[in-house]
Amino acid sequence: MTGTLLAESLINGLITGAIYALVGAGVALIYGTMRVLNFAHGEMMMLGAYFAWMGVAVAGLPVLLAFALALIGVMIVAAVIQRAVVAPVLAREDWSFRVIAATIGLSVALQSAAQLIWGEKFNALPYFLDGVVQIGPMRLPWQRAAIPIVAFVALGLSALLLYRSRFGQMIRATAQDAEAAQAVGIPAGLVHTAVFALSAGLAAIAAIMLAPIMSVNPWMGLPYILKAFAVVILGGLGNFGGAIAAGLLLGLVESFGVMVTSSEWRDVISYGLLIAIIWVRPYGLFGGREAA
Amino acid sequence: MRSVLGSRPWLTLALIALVLAAMPFVIDDNYLLHILILFLIFAVFATGWNLTLGILGQKTLGHHAFFAIGAYTTALLSGTVGLSPWLTLWLGVLAAALAGGLIGIPILRIRSMPHVAIVTLAFAEIVKLLLANWKDVTRGELGLWGIPPFPAIEIGGTTIRFGAGQIAGSFALALLAFVAVHALVLWLLRGRFGLTMVAIRDSQLAAESLSIDLTRSKLAAFALSAAIVGLSGGLYAHYLQILTPTSTAGPEMLVTLLAMIILGGVGTFFGPIFGALVLTALTEYLREYGDLRMLIYGATVTLFVILLPRGVAGLLTRRGRPAAAGDEPATAPET
Repeated sequence: MTGTLLAESLINGLITGAIYALVGAGVALIYGTMRVLNFAHGEMMMLGAYFAWMGVAVAGLPVLLAFALALIGVMIVAAVIQRAVVAPVLAREDWSFRVIAATIGLSVALQSAAQLIWGEKFNALPYFLDGVVQIGPMRLPWQRAAIPIVAFVALGLSALLLYRSRFGQMIRATAQDAEAAQAVGIPAGLVHTAVFALSAGLAAIAAIMLAPIMSVNPWMGLPYILKAFAVVILGGLGNFGGAIAAGLLLGLVESFGVMVTSSEWRDVISYGLLIAIIWVRPYGLFGGREAA
Repeated sequence: MRSVLGSRPWLTLALIALVLAAMPFVIDDNYLLHILILFLIFAVFATGWNLTLGILGQKTLGHHAFFAIGAYTTALLSGTVGLSPWLTLWLGVLAAALAGGLIGIPILRIRSMPHVAIVTLAFAEIVKLLLANWKDVTRGELGLWGIPPFPAIEIGGTTIRFGAGQIAGSFALALLAFVAVHALVLWLLRGRFGLTMVAIRDSQLAAESLSIDLTRSKLAAFALSAAIVGLSGGLYAHYLQILTPTSTAGPEMLVTLLAMIILGGVGTFFGPIFGALVLTALTEYLREYGDLRMLIYGATVTLFVILLPRGVAGLLTRRGRPAAAGDEPATAPET
């Protein structure tokens, strides 16, 4: 009995943690390369889910085509945001707070725009994976079981891109010193735009995987952006691998925390943990090489 | 300091107070006066938050929590426990100040701006969730209603009443709080306290080397700022007589106030007052297009940051003299 409960909590924690890792890794990547805390990252999730829902439920496209289009759509939106909002603010003095304020404003404006376009209704993307998987005594629908798998494939590919490719070298060089990178011929501005698009793509994948089991609505990114911030602080701001580890950890802590208390205290547990950890280890759990 | 206060701050404040005091005699429309009362309350909120955000330069994003703490403390102690609102208002202020000091402690150790922003935001979220989950006491998202208004007082034979329907008394009280808070803040800013805060904003390292006690100054500023915001929360609670966790400590409150401060000018004394006036009026004007409200607030914040980062106040002070190098708070990456 308790064994099953523990296993269930473990798997639920892994599923939630995988989502946190996807969203948090994107926030960490953006912060790591341009020192920007993107408060509009949750809305990239929201747009990803809406685009996928429009493709599948409204336009009736094949699932994979709809998802690919949604992913590309979100990445284009993110690139436009980076060019139109983030880059002009970064070019000025005292940008570190201004860019936070600008993305907070953008986040709210996008939520409100989504509400005007698609209405307040909570839409559901139909289950796109059938069947259940048997793990020991537990039966888990593939729709949920696939979340950690998809997340690890996506994050693994991103890590390969970051650490094993020429483009990744360019990103890391820009992250260390954008001006020096530019001096050796790296188009730092384009790299920033690409990082924004890549991070938004990770968020969109998280949203598409979540959409069938949650619901698609204008505010769906809201709970995840604060969690993503908690994840990047725990993992060390700007640390890609740290964010993935911290995302899984936070998912597990919440899952076991809810088992002990009840689900309405889940967020209190994770934010409380965040403040407590900042108190004792201001620069995250895993040391502070990149942390400010 | 001139970039914060403008050239004749006491005169300007006195003129604003005079114009506002004349309003009930000029305007015969209770609805317009109601909007002005809300403006006065939000101006106090905006000024309180601006103390840490703009003048001390600590980018806190959780001040709506102090608003909720001030509001709920006085509402519960007067409504549920039965104490006089005239007393519980100050207990709410005290609770907010203590909370401000408490959240100030972990922040003292951090000089990285994003950390400060996230920790304060997480704190506000915790306060909102506690208020929403503690249903036996706060009724959660159903809302706490029937909060008693301030008891009537008698001055020279006339009885002054307060509360939602009592526009004249409520306006007088809100104006009194508005003037008192702004006079206090102005007096403090003109003295050593103001110079200390601006010195910390411009460079914590330099301030410390001038033997400014960073810990004490920051904690004092945090507590004062939270106390002022808590006061505005208390006034709000006893005026509208209804509270919900989301309407007080939710993200909409954060964006609304951020929009007011940024539109007026972060770190200027009169800017947030102006921002509060414009956006409170705009909100009511657009009431029938309710869905547009947050779109406008969000877009205001983003557009002002991009196009007019020093707000409306920045436009006014820039005219006539070249912006001195010291005007722009140097926040070169603090490490």
